[in-house]
Amino acid sequence: MIMLKVNGEARELDVDPEMPLLWVLRDVLGLTGTKYGCGQAQCGACTVHLDGEVVRSCVTPVRRAAGRAVTTIEGLSPDGSHPLQRAWCDLAVPQCGFCQAGQIMTAAALLASNPKPRDADIERCLAGNICRCGTYTRIRAAVKRAAQISEE
Amino acid sequence: MREPRAAPVLVVAVIALACGCTRRQPETTSKGGASLSQASSGGLRRPEEFAQIADRAARSRALFLEASRVFLHPRCVNCHPNGDTPHQGMDLSVHDPPVVRGPDDKGVAGVQCSSCHQDHNLELARVPGAPDWHLAPRAMAWVGKNPREICEQMKDPARNGGRTLAQIVDHNAHDRLVAWGWNPGHGREPAPGTQEQLGQLVADWVASGAECPNEGATP
Amino acid sequence: MTTTRRAFLEYSGGLAVAFIAGRALAVMPGKGQAIATAPGFDPNVFVHVATDGWVTLVCHRSEMGQGVRSTLPALLADEMGADMARVKIAQADGDKKYGDQKTDGSSSIRNGYDDLRRAGATARTMLVAAAARRWNVSPNSCEARDHAVFHGKRSLGFGELAAEAAKLPVPDPGDVKVRPRSELRHVFRDLPLVDAPAIVAGKAQFGADIRLPGMLVAVIARPPVVGGRVARYDGKRALAIPGVKRLVEIPTPKPPYGFQPWGGIAVLAENTWAAMRGRGALEIEWDAGENADYDSDRYRVELSKSVRAPGTVARNVGDVDGALSKAARVAEAEYHVPHLAHVPMEPPAAVAQVKDGKCEVWAPTQYPQEARTEAAKTIGFSEDRVQVHVTFLGGAFGRKAKSDFVAEAAFLAREADQAVRVQWTREDDIHHDYYNAVNTQLLTAGLDERGKLVAWRLRTAFPPISSTFKPTNQPSAGDLQQGITDRPLAVANVRAETCRADAHVRIGWLRSVYNIFHAFSVNSFIDEIAHARGADPRDVQLEILGPDRIVTLAELGVDELSNYGDSLEKHPIDTARWRRVIERATTMARWDQRRADGRVLGLAAHRSFLTYVAVVVSVVRNGDGQIAVDEAWVAADAGIVVNRERARSQMEGAVIFGMSHTFHGGATMKHGATVQSGFHDYRLARIAEAPNRISVDIAQSDAPPGGIGEPGVPPVAPAIANAVFALTGLRFRELPLPDGGRVLKSGGP
Repeated sequence: MIMLKVNGEARELDVDPEMPLLWVLRDVLGLTGTKYGCGQAQCGACTVHLDGEVVRSCVTPVRRAAGRAVTTIEGLSPDGSHPLQRAWCDLAVPQCGFCQAGQIMTAAALLASNPKPRDADIERCLAGNICRCGTYTRIRAAVKRAAQISEE
Repeated sequence: MREPRAAPVLVVAVIALACGCTRRQPETTSKGGASLSQASSGGLRRPEEFAQIADRAARSRALFLEASRVFLHPRCVNCHPNGDTPHQGMDLSVHDPPVVRGPDDKGVAGVQCSSCHQDHNLELARVPGAPDWHLAPRAMAWVGKNPREICEQMKDPARNGGRTLAQIVDHNAHDRLVAWGWNPGHGREPAPGTQEQLGQLVADWVASGAECPNEGATP
Repeated sequence: MTTTRRAFLEYSGGLAVAFIAGRALAVMPGKGQAIATAPGFDPNVFVHVATDGWVTLVCHRSEMGQGVRSTLPALLADEMGADMARVKIAQADGDKKYGDQKTDGSSSIRNGYDDLRRAGATARTMLVAAAARRWNVSPNSCEARDHAVFHGKRSLGFGELAAEAAKLPVPDPGDVKVRPRSELRHVFRDLPLVDAPAIVAGKAQFGADIRLPGMLVAVIARPPVVGGRVARYDGKRALAIPGVKRLVEIPTPKPPYGFQPWGGIAVLAENTWAAMRGRGALEIEWDAGENADYDSDRYRVELSKSVRAPGTVARNVGDVDGALSKAARVAEAEYHVPHLAHVPMEPPAAVAQVKDGKCEVWAPTQYPQEARTEAAKTIGFSEDRVQVHVTFLGGAFGRKAKSDFVAEAAFLAREADQAVRVQWTREDDIHHDYYNAVNTQLLTAGLDERGKLVAWRLRTAFPPISSTFKPTNQPSAGDLQQGITDRPLAVANVRAETCRADAHVRIGWLRSVYNIFHAFSVNSFIDEIAHARGADPRDVQLEILGPDRIVTLAELGVDELSNYGDSLEKHPIDTARWRRVIERATTMARWDQRRADGRVLGLAAHRSFLTYVAVVVSVVRNGDGQIAVDEAWVAADAGIVVNRERARSQMEGAVIFGMSHTFHGGATMKHGATVQSGFHDYRLARIAEAPNRISVDIAQSDAPPGGIGEPGVPPVAPAIANAVFALTGLRFRELPLPDGGRVLKSGGP
């Protein structure tokens, strides 16, 4: 039995301890906001927080989350009001939207540890998140907006 | 007027030494005369072989040279970079996805080493794993170094994490992240020999005076 | 709570998005959802006005990031006079009643514009008629706006009028008048992105997000080589994986492959992890089949030989051979673009259930009706027993127009007698793609003593899309209408030929399709000519484009042009518009000041899908030789643009999309199988590579709407290659640039 918290709710799961957290979230718990993009930790679409730290859930065995708190995109805010979510809407960042939960979760960890990131910090933080639709310039702008840094 | 196709530019290899050195003849020392057997690629010479070298200092240097076949192997050197990014593969490719060292050699927010690397290799995903995955500090950079330089770094408490020689032996022989070099998973070529063998070589090297190889010596 | 609202919540299945004030409520299909069966007014299949005032507008194109759900309903709403804050958007199932539902060819607006406006106008006309009746006034004295009909100061809401309007006869579409464009208050400007709140909250449902009770997940081991099959297999270890329920053999398809499933062995399991593990544990011996020797390096040589011999003429003006023989100088260059894979962020996935003699499918499909046909065909059902719901698409670029993955889901759902999700892994997606055609071209130009073009001969070889549907080994004249036969050239002697190219993989269409390589060669060649002459590439582009004119078939030297399915009368090839985007992009980029500014720029321009786009990029190189695009400018003329905001975002995205195949390339094949399998070896542009700024100018135009999704892509690669030449003196005629764009050397003049 794996005991963990997901978005604030305590869960007790009878699952293979090696099952990646991604599939626990999606298949077992029905939290489908976290996406499968590659299964190889290459694209970042599966990004969630484990006790506030970024992990790629497609390669994180669920046993690593035992006794810890997982936050998914569904739990980032109760109502879409996280500054990043608002900035993403204000700047119409998404196109297909598939990568965006991962982008937002990754950026959220940056802002949590560094409320006023420089451009280089934003770039490095999100360097591992792929967007095939090419929304990168808006992602950058939205992170800065969320951090209330004015853009040139 | 057909212009020639632009030729692709060769990537300049930072180390020509590390790979393929298993096939070269070992450097024999003038004193103590015995020459070591041909190294088998993928294997490390057994400690008994070095016992043949009568001169203690020469034996010590030879032991370290043998150990450096591990240190200079891509499985080890990839995480002992001299810059801010780890390497991948067998030819010092830049780590992809793009990641950076960070203040504690563990990455930066959003892309920490532990964001992707687990405590063990995985069944279906290729991302390698071992406990406490992180970069060796800059002081322990091995890319671009020769065995003598690595030896000096390894002995220097200011550059080896404040370790005694006994702790150096222990680190090489037992550290779980070091262990990964011999169990890299997913078809990656392991470091030569075994961790146990490396541990023995390093222990014998310390016992024989921890001498560093001569300038320009290669395994 | 009114009956209508409860009905809505019931059939939304709890999948409705949280309503954000001012934004339309967006609904994606849930399990067994019917669109708008509550009482109200249904003037046509696109509009439902409920008696409580909620208007449901149907979006009959698939949302894959191009913003169609934010645009088509808004157009309809504006025409109708509805307030988007009281509009729900419903996604159309695959159903012939909607007419064409193919989301491809950058055609949603240009094909839907008139019909949707008429649909909205029909609704408006009837609501106005109902109000006018009630007030006993003339309809002409009434106005529909803000979700109500007004007569002076009094008004009646759409909901209040719905019941009466429903009783009126529906006017003939021909009798309905659309508003003057100036009366449309929201469209032709920036429109809100209606699905953004759902996306950023993780609530937007993609194909793999649909969950049904008892659903199994299928991961399929498919033949590595197209045309291959299972010779023998051992499933013991696979079946021993906890959670794996059964193995199903999928029949081997016979060529021509079309959208048929690929064959192989499916592992069905309780969850995705078990299914993936199960497939990893399968022991399969493959019979590789007829394409086992396909080697893309060797094929490159074959294509090169193919274009070195005369081909089939597709375009001919004057006497190219004569002019070449008399030319003062002859320039020749060979270009090559590899197979490209779509690699959408969402790998293909589809859910199907066969129950009570019916098949229900949920899929991220660009072609809901064709998916329905393919699913029905695969399981032997009549189409009326198959229902296809369209989810959000996590990127498509043409991949999800092919319903192979939908057919797989239907097949397995029928076999398993259980709901099944077919989940493609990333490896599957790259290994089993309908690749964009691999291409080699030979361009030959004759120049007079002043360097002016007197002859232009182009030969192109690529396995065409039709090879996936019938035996073909050569592009047709029709295939060349993407960048070859439709390309204006102010040159007296022009000839284009198609040359042989056999297909060894399934060829498909990928975001701008053949335009990618035709724009690459033509724009690179023009640039080469300019530099050889010591002239400004922009000037030579304009010189070769020729004077402002509407280009005739006679000038092109062809008998006909499909013109992307639209008439040349409605969408002529207008070189003035082509010229203007070149001028606008170069002006934005300060082209004439580039040397003074210390910048190195590259330019390319192309017309595709009836839209004109010019791209300028600025490139820099760091100490390691790594070339980067630090800024990009895009000028587009797409005629009437309904949603300028999404048009800009599509152009921005096209720059990044083009950068991927410019810097990182392409799919290669060895022993018949695709070499690449993931993001580690099929690399895509990442955020660090994105330009510091992408500036987009969308022309204000009264011309009929042209395409938006694809036209931004073709000029990107040649603009970059041209900039790289200006920077390094090295001409790269093959994509991708070597070593990810790391160019240490420089070439001399």
